[in-house]
Amino acid sequence: MQQQTAVRADGEALVHQVDELTALYRLTNHLYRARSLHDIHDAALEAILGTLGCSRASLLLFDEAGVMQFVGWRGLSDSYRAAVKGHSPWNPKTVDPDPIFIGDIDLADEPEWLKARIKAEGIRALAFIPLIVQGALIGKFMTYYDRSHAFAPHEIDLAVTIARQIGFALERAGAEQARRAAEAELRESEERFRLMSENAPVMIWMSHPDGSCLHLNRMLRAFWKVEEEQLATFDWQRTLHPEDAPEIARLMTEAIAAQANVRLKGRYLNAEGRYRVLETNAQPRFSPKGEYLGMIGVNVDITEREQTERELRDSEERFRLAVEAAPSGMIMADAEGRIVMVNAQAAKLFGYGRGELVGQPVDLLVPPRYQQGHPQHRANYHRYPAARPMGDGRELFARRKDGTEMPVEISLSSMKTAKGIMTLAAVVDIGSRKRADAQRELLLAELNHRVKNTLAVVQGIARQTFRASNASSEARKAFEGRLFALSVAHSLLTRSNWEDASLEQLATDTLKVGIPNQARVALSGPPVVLPPKEAVAIVLALHELCTNAVKYGALSNDTGRIDLGWSRSDDEHPRLKLVWREHGGPLVSPPEHRGFGSFLLERTLAQDLDGSVTAEFRPEGLVCSIDAPLPNQSGSPR
Amino acid sequence: MSVVAGKRILVVEDEALIAAMVEDMLKDLGAVVVGPASTIEKGLALAGSEAIDVALLDVNVRDQRIDPVADVLRGRGIPMLFATGYGSNIFADKRTCSWIDKPYTQETLASALAKVLRPTG
Repeated sequence: MQQQTAVRADGEALVHQVDELTALYRLTNHLYRARSLHDIHDAALEAILGTLGCSRASLLLFDEAGVMQFVGWRGLSDSYRAAVKGHSPWNPKTVDPDPIFIGDIDLADEPEWLKARIKAEGIRALAFIPLIVQGALIGKFMTYYDRSHAFAPHEIDLAVTIARQIGFALERAGAEQARRAAEAELRESEERFRLMSENAPVMIWMSHPDGSCLHLNRMLRAFWKVEEEQLATFDWQRTLHPEDAPEIARLMTEAIAAQANVRLKGRYLNAEGRYRVLETNAQPRFSPKGEYLGMIGVNVDITEREQTERELRDSEERFRLAVEAAPSGMIMADAEGRIVMVNAQAAKLFGYGRGELVGQPVDLLVPPRYQQGHPQHRANYHRYPAARPMGDGRELFARRKDGTEMPVEISLSSMKTAKGIMTLAAVVDIGSRKRADAQRELLLAELNHRVKNTLAVVQGIARQTFRASNASSEARKAFEGRLFALSVAHSLLTRSNWEDASLEQLATDTLKVGIPNQARVALSGPPVVLPPKEAVAIVLALHELCTNAVKYGALSNDTGRIDLGWSRSDDEHPRLKLVWREHGGPLVSPPEHRGFGSFLLERTLAQDLDGSVTAEFRPEGLVCSIDAPLPNQSGSPR
Repeated sequence: MSVVAGKRILVVEDEALIAAMVEDMLKDLGAVVVGPASTIEKGLALAGSEAIDVALLDVNVRDQRIDPVADVLRGRGIPMLFATGYGSNIFADKRTCSWIDKPYTQETLASALAKVLRPTG
């Protein structure tokens, strides 16, 4: 019997337990499906009523002010709720409170008015079950009984289990609400971004995940002249220059696939039908949860910048071509003396491959015996980097790759570049020119030798002739004098490669031939150079004047003097005016017969000089004036 | 009386008319002419064998330099005067070589020879 009772009791307990588990399952199921807080509250209350054997229940949560508020209830009057509102054994800071079970309100340690109000509602027993989310108290649920109630341990466990389920459901609902709020905020911030970007002075865009157009700001819409309503169908890639389109499409596709930053440059047709170069910096957009949303980018119109850069490149290219085409070897070096550029001629000149020279120190091209001083020379040049020949008149030598040397001429110039001050050296191998110069000098010396030898031969013939004809030694000397004057002119002209000779030098050397004491002749005049024919004519004339002066004129006594002065007019057709003025000699009377001297002066000279010659035999001395045109180019002083 | 008078002077000159004139000038000055030699070979023979006080040498003899003759004379310590139309540039050492520019007068020749014979004077 006793055993039967026990079995029946076990059976009842079993049935009860199955009911409780069913209610818990339903609670879990309802909570899982709950779409709103309200759903959660309903499900919670239903589960409480169905499992904890109470007739009434309520759910309360702290509001933002920390006051416990009813959020759901069953079987409570409005007045009761209003009366007990805010009354709670716990506040939000209460840590891990235990549930409170009151089996009989009369025995509870509560204020009398509260007990009276509770009883007035028909409640005799009640329980407070705390709701805890992530360790924090958020509220409670209450169970109410019409009669006094003995709370069994399993009832207590069940209440706590239900409280955990409700807490978890509320937590989930809270998170979901926060997420929605965040989404709303994101929508709002995107809206703000659109508003901000709309009037930004750069071109800003956003794309859908597939790269199609989502948003263009005002500037970018104006660029393409596309209305906001057309954005959904606008295909920006169609405005790309055909040459740029494949590359841009490829890079953009790659960036989208990799969800990576990308930088693009391309030509886009604007609304005015012109291609503009846009530089794009784009990066992927992500939602707060890390979901890829598309790209966002900024376009900058760099057409003018590109133009400037291209012009710079063009001018650099022109410079490079000019250097390349230069007939000299051109070498450019930086401030540290490193070669940064050479033209083909330079490489050929020095026997290097072009690649071998760039990056090398220029000292490589300097013969070892000059290398030590070269850095100092370079430093000096950098201090005064004017365009000038290198070496300050010294003979320069350069070293080829095979170690051989060559005489060179080097012109330096400097230029400011983006990479600092560069020195440009134009190198010319003057070896062949030097050899040609030497050859020409040799030939000139040979010519001079032959002319002089011929004059000596003429002198020999004359000597034999004079001797055979018993002519006076005076006649022989007169002849020899003229011959030597001719020789003087030839010597001087040879020195200048038969280009011209200085009048002063011609006069000085001629006087040496014909006058024993040259101190009695005063020369004065500006530097004047004469071409060969005029030089020879003047020398012969001066020689005749000297001979005459020694024989009859100012130099035939001990006191006479001669002033030899000349001037040149500086107009377009310069003329030489030369005056030979004797004074202090014996009294002069005009000669009775005209000798070779007069003939030479008045006929030959006038004709050779294409000018006029006058000889005045004044009593105080002979005055001979020569007036002749000078070639324009020979007027410069030497 | 000229310093040159009585001196034995070797003349090497390939141009016959010039040689004749030089001989004439030197005789006028009272000197004794050795030669004149018109080739390097003849000049060498005389330079090596004759008694010579001073030599008057054309620098270029039939397109050959006078140097071999000058070497022999230098070896014998005989002073030399070079006659040239080239100017002084052809001499390796201008200070130790005396030279006279062609053409020259008898007077110039006399004073140039005198200087060579009395180098300290």
